[in-house]
Amino acid sequence: MSKLIITAAIRGAHAIVDRVEGKVNAAIQEYGADKEVNLPNTAYYLPVIYGITGYKVEKLGDMPGVIEKCRQLLPELPAENAWLPYLGPGLDAGMATAFAFELEESLLYLDPDKCPYLPSKEDPEDTDPDIWLGAADDIILRKRGVEFVDGSAPGFAAVVGAAKDVETAIKIAKELQEKSIYVFMASSNPNGVSFAEQLHEGGVQVGWNTRLVPFGKPTSAAIHALGFATRAALTFGGKTPGDFKEVLKYSKDRVFAFVLALDEVDDEKYAAAAGCINWGYPTIADTDIPEILPTGICTYEHVVSNIPQEEIVSKAIEVRGLKITIAKIDIPMSYGPAFEGERIKKDAMFVELGGPKSVGFEFAYSKPLDQVEDGKFTVVGPNIKDIEAGALLPIGIWIELAGRKLQEDFEPILERQCHHLLNGAEGVLHIGQRDIVWMRVSKKAVEAGFTLEHFGTILHAKLHNEFGAIVDKVQVTIFTDEEKVKEHLEVARKTWVERDNRLSDMNDETTETYYSCSLCQSFAPTHVCVVTPERPGLCGAYNWLDCRASHEINEHGPNQPIAKGDVVDERLGKWKGVDEFVAPASGNAFESFSAYSILVDPMTSCGCFEAIAACLFAANGVMVVDRDYAGETPCGMAFSTLAGSVGGGLQTPGFVGISKFYIGSKKFISAEGGIKRLCWMPKALKEQLKDMITARGEEEGVPNLYDMIATEENGTDEETVMAFLMEVGHPCLEMQQLMEMM
Amino acid sequence: MAFSALTEKYSGKMGTLTFGSGDQAITVGGQAAMPFCTFDGEIPNKPIVAMEVYDVVDPEWPAAVVDPFKDVINDPIAWAKKNIDEYGAKAICLQLASTDPNGENKSADYAAELVSKMIEAISVPLVVWGSGNVEKDAEVLSKICEVNEGKNLLIGPAVEENYKKIAAACLGYGHNVVSQSPIDVNMAKQMNILISNLGLPMDKIIMEPSTGALGYGVEYSYSVMERISLAALAQNDEKMQCPITNDLGKECWKAREVKLTEEEEPAFGPDLEKRGVLWEAITGFDMLLAGSNLLIMRNPKAVKLVEECIDELLA
Repeated sequence: MSKLIITAAIRGAHAIVDRVEGKVNAAIQEYGADKEVNLPNTAYYLPVIYGITGYKVEKLGDMPGVIEKCRQLLPELPAENAWLPYLGPGLDAGMATAFAFELEESLLYLDPDKCPYLPSKEDPEDTDPDIWLGAADDIILRKRGVEFVDGSAPGFAAVVGAAKDVETAIKIAKELQEKSIYVFMASSNPNGVSFAEQLHEGGVQVGWNTRLVPFGKPTSAAIHALGFATRAALTFGGKTPGDFKEVLKYSKDRVFAFVLALDEVDDEKYAAAAGCINWGYPTIADTDIPEILPTGICTYEHVVSNIPQEEIVSKAIEVRGLKITIAKIDIPMSYGPAFEGERIKKDAMFVELGGPKSVGFEFAYSKPLDQVEDGKFTVVGPNIKDIEAGALLPIGIWIELAGRKLQEDFEPILERQCHHLLNGAEGVLHIGQRDIVWMRVSKKAVEAGFTLEHFGTILHAKLHNEFGAIVDKVQVTIFTDEEKVKEHLEVARKTWVERDNRLSDMNDETTETYYSCSLCQSFAPTHVCVVTPERPGLCGAYNWLDCRASHEINEHGPNQPIAKGDVVDERLGKWKGVDEFVAPASGNAFESFSAYSILVDPMTSCGCFEAIAACLFAANGVMVVDRDYAGETPCGMAFSTLAGSVGGGLQTPGFVGISKFYIGSKKFISAEGGIKRLCWMPKALKEQLKDMITARGEEEGVPNLYDMIATEENGTDEETVMAFLMEVGHPCLEMQQLMEMM
Repeated sequence: MAFSALTEKYSGKMGTLTFGSGDQAITVGGQAAMPFCTFDGEIPNKPIVAMEVYDVVDPEWPAAVVDPFKDVINDPIAWAKKNIDEYGAKAICLQLASTDPNGENKSADYAAELVSKMIEAISVPLVVWGSGNVEKDAEVLSKICEVNEGKNLLIGPAVEENYKKIAAACLGYGHNVVSQSPIDVNMAKQMNILISNLGLPMDKIIMEPSTGALGYGVEYSYSVMERISLAALAQNDEKMQCPITNDLGKECWKAREVKLTEEEEPAFGPDLEKRGVLWEAITGFDMLLAGSNLLIMRNPKAVKLVEECIDELLA
């Protein structure tokens, strides 16, 4: 299909360049080649031409040189029966179009009396004969451009053509305005109706201050949008004029813009759209024109068509990969971290949701982009207005998510956010996760106007703001109808089981990328965690999936991907890539880490470890003690003393900080024989991990391992523990001597 | 055999930052050695002390920081001139305390105009410091950038919550930014990365790692700054190679110890002024030893003490 569109673009570009050449020659005849030309108050000459080629157009005599350049760029018109051309020639034709349009626009400024634009004005006034502003000068560029850099303006929409009626035009403009997107307007439909005039007719104030900027009525006026983007790259990106690659890359990466083509798209507009693709700006059309879907120059698709005008804004945002942030959460109560610890007592409570006396769950999952309606919140069942104070309702919080970068693996991480996100609201208490959700809403919140939809409002705003990198759309349904709650809970439960299995099915061997965690370097400067699927971070808070999601969300954050590279030592868990990462990341304090060994280059420990594993050399085994156990241990040190000597970013052979969950991993000190070495742990911890230990024991051929592990009840010095181990016949006694393995 | 002292060779060096315009511009940073260790590497620029002026003064201020400015304390411009003419200030830091929404809540326009007047009136580079209110600073400081385009001011503090607005305005209108982080090496680095990702070059960024006064966490600041310096020098971590500033005047002069009278604490003795001056001077000097390139200080005697130390050690 793209052959059609590119052929049209090339045809359009030829026509435009021909036309502009004629105009340039006529202007030279009329005014002479030395006549100065410029756009109002800019230091960037004709900015698109200057930015892309470095060529300064200062007088009419400089223009034929640009036309010459256009001719060089213009590809031959493709033959009817050829399969070619593809994107490349189309892009060149687009660039030629951009240059020609810019020349054409600058000619309009030659005679101030005939200029159709209001130069250097921010807004047209009632006394002005027309609304068209033309090119922005450098002052406007700087003032508005800063908003693009700081993110308060997420991007701009170049709207060409016209909406189907005034009402729709206003609706589209409003939708863009609400998202703080600038609207740059140019061109008209075949009947001579333009989007900007439609807004003006509808009584909408246009101009820079309302972010609805009417550039000009000819299609060529759309070039001022590219002129704006190009100058932004030169001004804010510090790019060199003529370094077109950098200028265009900056535009694509930093200036989030897209083209909305409303109504018929003719050859000229195709040519202009092809021009925009060079800058990384896709075109979204409402008419049924051929599409260019494969990703290449733009972030996602290049030309998407046949989108109804009602949906065109949200589609455009999706195609351009624009991120929306929500400045204020629209709920009647306050919101902030201060309310996270708030308790709601029975007499202050208006309604209790879920909890031990009812059913409560929350569930987040991802769906295709077109199946989620962003910002839609529904309540199924009784809402606040339908109940009396003190009521009890079941609750199911059903969160449907969509995003270009959203992966199934991120679902549980996002679902887990419900707790702190909902707790941030004043008058809302949230406890638990998955199917043990228990919530309360205070009378005060209800008096302020709270309804159950507001849970959706909160989740929508916060998920967009905090996880915008991976989440593009959030739809929330609140179930309070008991049947519906139970019905959906069943679906959720099935998914939870699948999720739990997914991570446990992963292993280190088949995973090429591990993640670092240097979150704790603030107090343990040389410490680096290397998190693999089978070895979670020692704090227990970051497993491999968490690290991966965290990296997606904040690519400059503490979790960096590590390509593990070649295996250096399979038994110890050493990889070339890991060692190469660890050295600089630890400030060159360490050259190598073993993921699976407690004796040879064990991983460093910060201070956040859930538990510490320590060798008991006489018993030839390993003990584990957790933070909650305050008593003595067989290695002669209580947890606090151990923590002092193991923590702080040191590598301490014989000791290693671990998460509790790691004990159940097949890679738990596997270099030294794994869980069969485990010979002592506090009773409470042992009971907590009973299922895990039993299961692992069975896998290792020691089904009664659980009973063979000593606790403080069997002894807290190595001799007594030894006696116990011999009595039960603990497998560690028969294993290779730990001392020999160092 | 002649004695040759062992020296430490570093693979990296701290970047520089130049603020102020024309002949009066000052460059800080650029050292290739730990503080004052000229035997290890070059220290091309001496640390600078910028003297504070406030646009509104807290009535709780001790006499030691009111008396030297008594005649000018209600006029920040006259105060700045006095600092320069009488006390030899090499740079001025305008503290915009009045813009705090919890105080006088003066407008961004007011602040921008005051800064313009200040630039006109003084002959040394200017640092402009917001009230510390995250939202208001974003508004006030970006306005100041816009109104004073091209004046190459040093503007801050930009923190994680508002850096985009402030740094973008610095980028757009030609200023430098103070990147402030909460006593955390990782955050200091992350802030530098985030700000430079907006497009502001590293030589337009100075770090403020959050300053604790003597007795109020000075050791934390010291330790973080030392680690930043070592990362910049020994590890050649280019995202840590921004010079460092410390906003310490306001921290020192709110310390309990500079306000206690002899009656309240006999062991402290009667000389409140001397105690306060030393409190600020020692805090300032500690920061220099940790790697600071630009100190923001209040009391003229404390400034003199610190500058004497700098001159002597870098003679």
